[in-house]
Amino acid sequence: MAEKQLHCTLAAGEHQKAWFAQLRKDVFEKQRPYAIIQADMPFELFHVMEVPVVSNQYWAAIISAKRLSGYYLDALNSMGFHEGLCRYCSLAAASTLANDPEHAPWGGLPKPALLSARLTCDCLQRVFAIWAEAFGSECLFIDNPGAADLPPRWWEFSRYHWRELFEEHRLKFTVTQFQNLIEALERVTGRQFQIDRLRDLMERVNRQEEYFEEALQMICSAPRTPVRMHEQVANVMAAQWKRGSDWAVEHARTFRDEIRNRVRQGVAACPGERLRLMWVGAGIWHDTDFYTAFEEEFGAVFVWSMYLAFGPDGYIRYGLDDPLLALASRTVSMNEQLHNPPWANEWIVHQAKLHRIDAALVLTPMGTRPAATGNRFIERALEQAGIPVLPVVADMVDARDWDPDAMRLKVSEFLRHRVLPHLNSARRHS
Amino acid sequence: MRTSDMKNSDFTAKPRNTIAPIDRLIWHYENPDAEAMAAAAGNVPVVGVTSNTAPWELIRAAGAFPCVINSGNPNYPDIGTFMEEGVFEERIRAIFGAAISGDLQHLSLLLIPRTSEQEYKLYLYLREVARQDPTRRIPPLYLYDMLHTRSPESYSYGLERTLCLKERLEELTGKRIDDAALLYAVRESNSARKAIRKLLSLRNPVPRVTGTEALTLIGASFFISRDEYAHLAGQAVEMIEGRAPVAGKRVMIAGSPLNHRGLHHALEKHGAVVVAEDDWWGSRSAGMDIADGSDDLLKAIFEKYYLDAPSPRVFPFEIADAWFQEESTHGIDGVVFYLPPEDCVVGWDYPRRRRFLDERRIPHLLMREDAGSISEECHEQIERFVNNICIR
Repeated sequence: MAEKQLHCTLAAGEHQKAWFAQLRKDVFEKQRPYAIIQADMPFELFHVMEVPVVSNQYWAAIISAKRLSGYYLDALNSMGFHEGLCRYCSLAAASTLANDPEHAPWGGLPKPALLSARLTCDCLQRVFAIWAEAFGSECLFIDNPGAADLPPRWWEFSRYHWRELFEEHRLKFTVTQFQNLIEALERVTGRQFQIDRLRDLMERVNRQEEYFEEALQMICSAPRTPVRMHEQVANVMAAQWKRGSDWAVEHARTFRDEIRNRVRQGVAACPGERLRLMWVGAGIWHDTDFYTAFEEEFGAVFVWSMYLAFGPDGYIRYGLDDPLLALASRTVSMNEQLHNPPWANEWIVHQAKLHRIDAALVLTPMGTRPAATGNRFIERALEQAGIPVLPVVADMVDARDWDPDAMRLKVSEFLRHRVLPHLNSARRHS
Repeated sequence: MRTSDMKNSDFTAKPRNTIAPIDRLIWHYENPDAEAMAAAAGNVPVVGVTSNTAPWELIRAAGAFPCVINSGNPNYPDIGTFMEEGVFEERIRAIFGAAISGDLQHLSLLLIPRTSEQEYKLYLYLREVARQDPTRRIPPLYLYDMLHTRSPESYSYGLERTLCLKERLEELTGKRIDDAALLYAVRESNSARKAIRKLLSLRNPVPRVTGTEALTLIGASFFISRDEYAHLAGQAVEMIEGRAPVAGKRVMIAGSPLNHRGLHHALEKHGAVVVAEDDWWGSRSAGMDIADGSDDLLKAIFEKYYLDAPSPRVFPFEIADAWFQEESTHGIDGVVFYLPPEDCVVGWDYPRRRRFLDERRIPHLLMREDAGSISEECHEQIERFVNNICIR
């Protein structure tokens, strides 16, 4: 397990564990409804309606970190689902279909009142419908309108000019989908949705993301990064899953403060930092030690992943007179912003420059192929910006094809033969 | 159609009218670009579509020539510069390759419907290649974003998108799409559908045409005018009706769409006769007619594509499975599930559909190989499967 340098990282981990134990208690003992949802869903609506949520991807990462992915994916394959099907989005479902709570992390997922996903790929309605049937739970989908108009430099418009950035018909349609979801949540909880509560929550989410932005700016400007990538992810995602809650806003502030103190005291995550690396794609959840494996020999530190950076650029929305529409704008293009051309390649190069990145590793998850789209555009854009790229063909949750030694060797060779000569040459010329 | 199936599309080599209608349809199937290129050479705007959920009638009513794009080389060297290996279906790679290599420059518009998520990505990719490199001769692009979930909101959204498409087509051709033009186009396409349905009736329960031939004859409808198609297919039907029944175990193909004849050919080589395929290239290409008596033809056209066109995005399962369940229990001796190596969608349906067949004791075979290059081992597997089927 990778070293944890920040107090708040430990706190985040403990909070998540305690939260899940409480959830199981509430669900089993008090029959409280909860939901399982895809990571790009409008969590805000669930929070406003006080329905706890477990993200599909979060649970997949937990299974993977516990080294159980092979067990569950084998079980899925034995049911006739072939090995080429997406693993990241189906691993948590596999843990339900396997029907083996003894093996499951933290006792496994209890039966949810609702499962829900946005249809950003053709597999999701299938995975979630199969999963919901196994639980005997209700399933609700949010269809996903495609973007035809994608103006350049989206991050410069997303906070204040989001109405112009996203096509009006897409936002309106997404609002109708949210209204269906709200009706379902009202039915599940017996409570009435209040738009003012959503507005308040959206304002708190803004505050949370502003703290994250301050943290990000310090990572960009400090001589050496004060926090490693994997600790950024642990802190940011614990808060993003509960975004806008008192705990999440406070945790974001604590994270910012701890980084600020480290910067003021000149504390670096890796005192020997010489190379700054970027990780593009979801994390390798089954081998997080990978992210610190190149510090000792090369002084190579992973300083960037999408998880922290997307918070400020992707989530902040000012002008909340219509909070549902603002929420639609936060949600409707996450897939284009993070994974597909032109928005993903453009934004990632922008981020690489901000973070003074020396080299990038780009994950191509062949076990989750729809998540691999857009990668060639990202790799080309980074290379054109003078940043050497190593494509990494691996799966984020499935360790069965992952050879830790071979992968570390491959990255070492990339750093030794490609990145260091490139940097030396650039330094000579400057 | 695979590259190996295709000939160079030389529209001047189009067969003369004196040649038998079946041969003419085969020629058009094997030369999918020929009519489109001839139209473009005659200054008729050509609108290429990438799959089945684009409203043919609207394009026709605007005075343009509609055609499905089924050419291109999936191994065109530059594809790998932009597209991830093994992520996209071969057909989508081929269309992408054709577009970035300039092979589609005869199109006035490349209309990409949201039939599948891969097509949406195709749109984003092509849009970006065109932006980054304006010297590439990529045709203008249009995303027709019809959603396929069955909800009142998706219905309204799709109808609104159809109105926008109408405006775009009017702008493209400079011709207003009025009711008379829509009615003409609807009747023309209905006549082609009627001809296809007649062809389909000659496949099951008593097959008088092989699946390989049927797929070819039906497939030609995507590449030529539907008037001409209805005429030729009508003549072909008359010729086929007089044939003796084709002997063989009646097999249905389900799974990923097949835009070529490789699997049909392999199955029929081993004693099967393919009588249906759960697929927009074959048995599901025509579907029902569009109501030409509708007082809102645009809406009727939209509803045809929203409610009666197969797509991997159709949901829920009851609707998505309805055709499969109905057809597999009528005159079918066995089912072959085709899930090629790049499949990451239809495989989710396989255990459920397999269970449906098991409950009815309908034999089935899973095929995971690329049907364009079937191995000896797979041929043996097919042979064993066909031999073991009992005629029902």
